[in-house]
Amino acid sequence: MLLRVQKPARYVGGEYRSVMKDRAKVDLRFAFCFPDTYEIGMSNLGMRILYGVMNEMEGVWCERCFAPWGDMEEEMRRAGLPLYALESGDPIRDFDFVGFSLGYEMAYTNVLNMLDLAGIPLHTWERGDGDPIVIAGGTCAYHCEPLADFIDLFSLGEGEDVTREMLELYRRGKREGWTRREYLRRAAQMPGLYVPSLYDVRYREDGTIASITPRDGAPAVVTKRIVQDLDRSYYPVQTIVPSTEIVHDRVMLEVFRGCIRGCRFCQAGFCYRPVRPKSPQKLIEQGIAACRDSGYQEMTLSSLSTSDYRGLEELCDGLLDYCESRNINLSVPSLRADNFSTALQQRLQKARKSSFTFAPEAGTQRLRDAINKNVTEEDLLRSCRTLFEGGGNAVKLYFMLGLPTETDEDVLGIADLAQKVYLTWKQYASNRARGVRITVSTSFFVPKPFTPFQWEGQISMEEYRRRVNLLRSSIRNKAIIYNWHDPDTSYVEAVLARGDRRMGRAIEEVWRRGGRLDAWSEYFQFDRWMEGFRAAGLDPDFYALRERRREEILPWSMVSVGVRPEYLWREREQAYRAAITPDCRHRCMGCGADRLLCSGKCDAVLPPSAEKED
Amino acid sequence: MAKMHSHRLRYEKSGLAVYISHLDTMACFQRAFLRAGLEIWQTEGFNRHAYVSIALPLPVGFSSGCEVMEFDLQTELPLDEVPARLNAVLPEGIRVEACYPARDPFGLLRLLDWEIRLEYDNGVPDGVEAAFSGLLGRDSLVVQKKSKKARRGYTEVDLIPLVRSWSLTREGGEVLRLDCRLAAQNPGLNPQLLLEAFAAHAPALAPDFVRCRRVEAWREDGERFR
Repeated sequence: MLLRVQKPARYVGGEYRSVMKDRAKVDLRFAFCFPDTYEIGMSNLGMRILYGVMNEMEGVWCERCFAPWGDMEEEMRRAGLPLYALESGDPIRDFDFVGFSLGYEMAYTNVLNMLDLAGIPLHTWERGDGDPIVIAGGTCAYHCEPLADFIDLFSLGEGEDVTREMLELYRRGKREGWTRREYLRRAAQMPGLYVPSLYDVRYREDGTIASITPRDGAPAVVTKRIVQDLDRSYYPVQTIVPSTEIVHDRVMLEVFRGCIRGCRFCQAGFCYRPVRPKSPQKLIEQGIAACRDSGYQEMTLSSLSTSDYRGLEELCDGLLDYCESRNINLSVPSLRADNFSTALQQRLQKARKSSFTFAPEAGTQRLRDAINKNVTEEDLLRSCRTLFEGGGNAVKLYFMLGLPTETDEDVLGIADLAQKVYLTWKQYASNRARGVRITVSTSFFVPKPFTPFQWEGQISMEEYRRRVNLLRSSIRNKAIIYNWHDPDTSYVEAVLARGDRRMGRAIEEVWRRGGRLDAWSEYFQFDRWMEGFRAAGLDPDFYALRERRREEILPWSMVSVGVRPEYLWREREQAYRAAITPDCRHRCMGCGADRLLCSGKCDAVLPPSAEKED
Repeated sequence: MAKMHSHRLRYEKSGLAVYISHLDTMACFQRAFLRAGLEIWQTEGFNRHAYVSIALPLPVGFSSGCEVMEFDLQTELPLDEVPARLNAVLPEGIRVEACYPARDPFGLLRLLDWEIRLEYDNGVPDGVEAAFSGLLGRDSLVVQKKSKKARRGYTEVDLIPLVRSWSLTREGGEVLRLDCRLAAQNPGLNPQLLLEAFAAHAPALAPDFVRCRRVEAWREDGERFR
């Protein structure tokens, strides 16, 4: 079978550092499922962390499982081979837990497909005491209602601690002979765990939510969990080295969690608060150890905005001392145009860099202020000038169309900005003979839960296309290349992102019509989604395009990420005034996330002198 | 001619590792050397990386007990310590058997011994041996071979001169073992091509499943390739 499919190495396991345990010495088995391909899933640091956390537990065996590509799925279905875990090859339906990592909405159909391939009953109410507990976590778990029919238990926030607690509770339940129902009831008492079946949702005639009522003592609001001290939390120094190439095939070093910036469109920026750094010393130690253990010759720093990391210079110095002599390449993405230091760039880049990528997101300063993306034209052009003077000749600019308050003037501003980059090149290029390539890309803005724009309507696809055409016709310079995303996926994403639990029916209908691997353009079919919404009796525009009132009960209102809804609303009002909010270091705006910390003080507000010394 | 490098590994690739492609196998070794703390020569230029080179790519799905890879070891240590250090850090299914100073340029690898298991779900049918004799006893057997370079998308090869010797042995009721010595390169013969020719010659006698394994590599003069 494996010889008939593409890239069979992703279906067999056996990689260096994959964890093998003796079945006889294990009392709890966990299938960590990633609802996308091996290459994508293995690139996820969160999965590697939880794999390590669980496998460090005595008697627990956590194994991996990925969505098979279409050719493999066909072979498996033909042969009647149920979905299996890579390490043992055992069917995951026999495991105690089946856990999904939800990173993006377009993976939802894969969750259903994987449950079906595994032979696990699709709906929570069909599962009995012999079936695995199906859990899910990850960014999408915060607004997980569309999957409420299929997932028994959601883990909100960072899983390092709550996963252990949840497994211990399961063991206790096994010892004491609890039913599945009893386990879920007790799990719902644990901070950070949300059991959708314990909540009754009622709707008004207009389709909005009338009430969300917890039962059996479940809390009215479930607050996400965070790791208090990243220096002491688990980092996978010893981690699996895939035997086949994956997307991020390198050592990943997470320098901090959270973001000080508060860009109003960015879900991660609000959901991952508060800001918590790791110390440079710890990172240097772990980075070096991870390179040694894996044999990778590439390392990358990761975080939402790496240049905001206070210890960046010290960290880079420490790592480069080790890396340079060993030809290990250190890359630092997520640098911002506004604080991007040339000296640092030069140290990181031995060879001359020929291209830069920036995401101004909007074409005018007014709209950039409205979304709180505090990058100015001056910052951007200064960085471009440095690049061009150094011989670089390619710039990529990323924007969104359809941001709240956007006008045609803002759309045309994108073309203006690109033209100014071109003029900067003309004025400062050290070698004009090489020409210049300026790439402008626009994506279609998707309003996301837990952001100040969670109440906004998405603009219609027709309007998006009109703005694309407006921009396209205003770019006349041949050195400027314009790429735009197709709006279809972004529209479906907008429907799912703010869907309530009635959306489960639609996802199921789409899956039954063959929907899977929807994050891949070769599988995604817009019409299939429209049919699915229709079959479920849902109007997708109600979810994507409608502007919500402040009083409306949002489908995710039983979840708290720490940031208060009142804060988000205030930020929304600030956006309509095009008023910026300073970053968290400049001044604490009281979003509320600092209260998740035992110390009560987040890194963002500490003055530089109070930085961690140890 | 390509630069000769100083050291060689002989290794086994079987089990789960048969699914690791040629390029991925090289990456596995590059990293394994670094994990084992064995410094090897790195390429010059912009994207510097540990240099390894495999004598003959092994197609995905085939196992082998005689793979040869070369590199330049920079760490001073007795070569017989290298296999154990690498085996401790290699993925499942790749096992280094020996490390030795390079002797033969890769071009001298001319012949490969193959062990090919033909599996029949309903038992080995009668007449398979005769059908093989009929096919391989011909003076010439020209088949089309897929080729990315050729304008037509294929080239024509005569298989007969590329099959140096062969024999068939029954292993129980359902397996027939074909041991053969085939040309290794310039041109080489992939056993898959031979089996396709057999399936075309005697469709009713084609096996349900085939396992191919390289067992030994030879020079033209009959010396083992080292």
